[in-house]
Amino acid sequence: MGFNSSDDLINQITTNGKADSQILQKTLVAAGTAGHWQHLLTSAGNIPAATFGGAEATFVATDNTWSEGAIPIGDQTAPATKHLTAAGASLIAAAGAPWFVQLVDMVGYAKLTTTNVSTTGTKTITMTPIGSSGAAVDRYPNGEGLRLAVAAIAAMGANAPTMQITYLNTAGASKTTLAGCVSTASATNGTILNSGNAANKYGPFLPLAVGDTGVSDIVNLTWGGTAHASGSVAILLCKPLGQPIPVPATGLFNVFDYVNTLPSLPRLRNGANLTALVYNTAATTSGGTFFMSFDYAWGG
Amino acid sequence: MAGFSNAAAWAAAVDAGKTHVSTFRKTVASAATAANDFVDYTYFAGNPAANFYASAPLEAAHVESIRGIHIPQMAGAERQFLKSITAMSAASSATGTSNQNQRQMLADYLLYYPFIDTDAVGELQEMVPTVALPRYAAGQVICVAQSASSAVGQFTMTYTNQDGVPGRVSQNTFTKVVAGGGTLVSSATSAVAGSLPFVGLQAGDSGVRSIESVTFTAAGGGLMALVVVQPLFHFYTTQECRRTTTGNLESYGAATYFETVLMRQPVEIKNGAVLGIVGLGNAGSLASSVLVGTIQTIWS
Repeated sequence: MGFNSSDDLINQITTNGKADSQILQKTLVAAGTAGHWQHLLTSAGNIPAATFGGAEATFVATDNTWSEGAIPIGDQTAPATKHLTAAGASLIAAAGAPWFVQLVDMVGYAKLTTTNVSTTGTKTITMTPIGSSGAAVDRYPNGEGLRLAVAAIAAMGANAPTMQITYLNTAGASKTTLAGCVSTASATNGTILNSGNAANKYGPFLPLAVGDTGVSDIVNLTWGGTAHASGSVAILLCKPLGQPIPVPATGLFNVFDYVNTLPSLPRLRNGANLTALVYNTAATTSGGTFFMSFDYAWGG
Repeated sequence: MAGFSNAAAWAAAVDAGKTHVSTFRKTVASAATAANDFVDYTYFAGNPAANFYASAPLEAAHVESIRGIHIPQMAGAERQFLKSITAMSAASSATGTSNQNQRQMLADYLLYYPFIDTDAVGELQEMVPTVALPRYAAGQVICVAQSASSAVGQFTMTYTNQDGVPGRVSQNTFTKVVAGGGTLVSSATSAVAGSLPFVGLQAGDSGVRSIESVTFTAAGGGLMALVVVQPLFHFYTTQECRRTTTGNLESYGAATYFETVLMRQPVEIKNGAVLGIVGLGNAGSLASSVLVGTIQTIWS
């Protein structure tokens, strides 16, 4: 359970001390491209840059104990549940403003490298479908609310193939993301390749099939057209938390309050592996500094 | 019919994945607009891709869905609503301020009649009813320039109204001198100060189901499309986003955020909607400025 009332929320925070806050800081590893979303996983900072270990084309589950770095939010003992009370973000870069920042819980990824990127065709992903066991990987039962993005985890070579992911939805049915989505040629490290500033670009996440609300299994990714000349990508499986936070100017810190507007209190589930995606209106300077804070409380 | 019974259901839908976020980024063309000009952002480059109303002259056509801001399609009895809009306007240069304080309108673009010759004085330009109005019983009509126009024209149109009554006659409407396509040319007077978002209808009418003909009584020196839209949500952007590059470096910018359930009404977005934005340049030219934002929808 969460909070029974505003009084309960205040009591849990002030009397019982059931609240905390965290800061995510990153230095952008490469320039961000205008009109694209960018992930921060390969950027240095606190938490450190991820290297995306694990076997090729195999799903790697991530949680708040991920060995490559995770924000150390603790788990709650049932029936307590943890909820965001506020989240804010700032970016300091000479160019690129304005930005949007989307907080996400990354449940896991599957990486594709070398010929799985430089050739077209269907690349099968090995993954055990997400269930409802209560384990960290199943923190969104049957993948409820999860979304897919294809992220560059190294500089990409020329060409922009089409991409389409086959997945199992929350009912276990085989579905595909919207056909025709085009990747980004020569994208910088960190670019969300399905996003962009042209036709057939969708961001931050690939549109799911009609009626679907989540993803329980990544089955494969099919590249069409002309393959990327080179590069490495990761298929990210994420739960967006709260709405995108606008950052209108460099150095401005903008905060969303999830209690005193419409009280939505997005839930942070046990095991949540928090990171952020950034939307660049203009080309964001490499080496820019990113900050994000989020406050949370728990009750029950 | 599905809807939301309370605030808890509203918040729970997001947690259950029944939500979608899309970004949009549209760059106004370099041709100058004037203060108090409305512009049709769908006409300009970016994401989604530009919509030039390029089809057979005078034939009714639907705007391609790929030209609208992406939203998911609903299955069965599900109904989708606008949850929030966040928007920012990036200046065309480090010192540009003329894109500040814009009024904007999100609309569902239903039907259009392209390439109406504003020089055809005295000729009855008959529209071809190739397709019918989708999704709504009637809509409002905007006049979008498809070229520069060199003179102040005047026209009336005949149309079928919201009740299906044909032969209705619009108010006499002026067209403005504009430097390029994408500007709304309609005006209540021969001056820019009289700019209208919509063509005035015959007394007693509230909408247009189809357009039958257009007759110019003064030449406008250009081409225009008449577009039937369903207005969905009015919003605005305030201070332009920019950063100076000389002297003491200063950053400016603001974001506007509208949570519909708090600030107006969570208007329904119907299946197949082609979402676009009409803006009003309040402070001067919008040329080369960038409108960027996110739209979040929610469904039950």
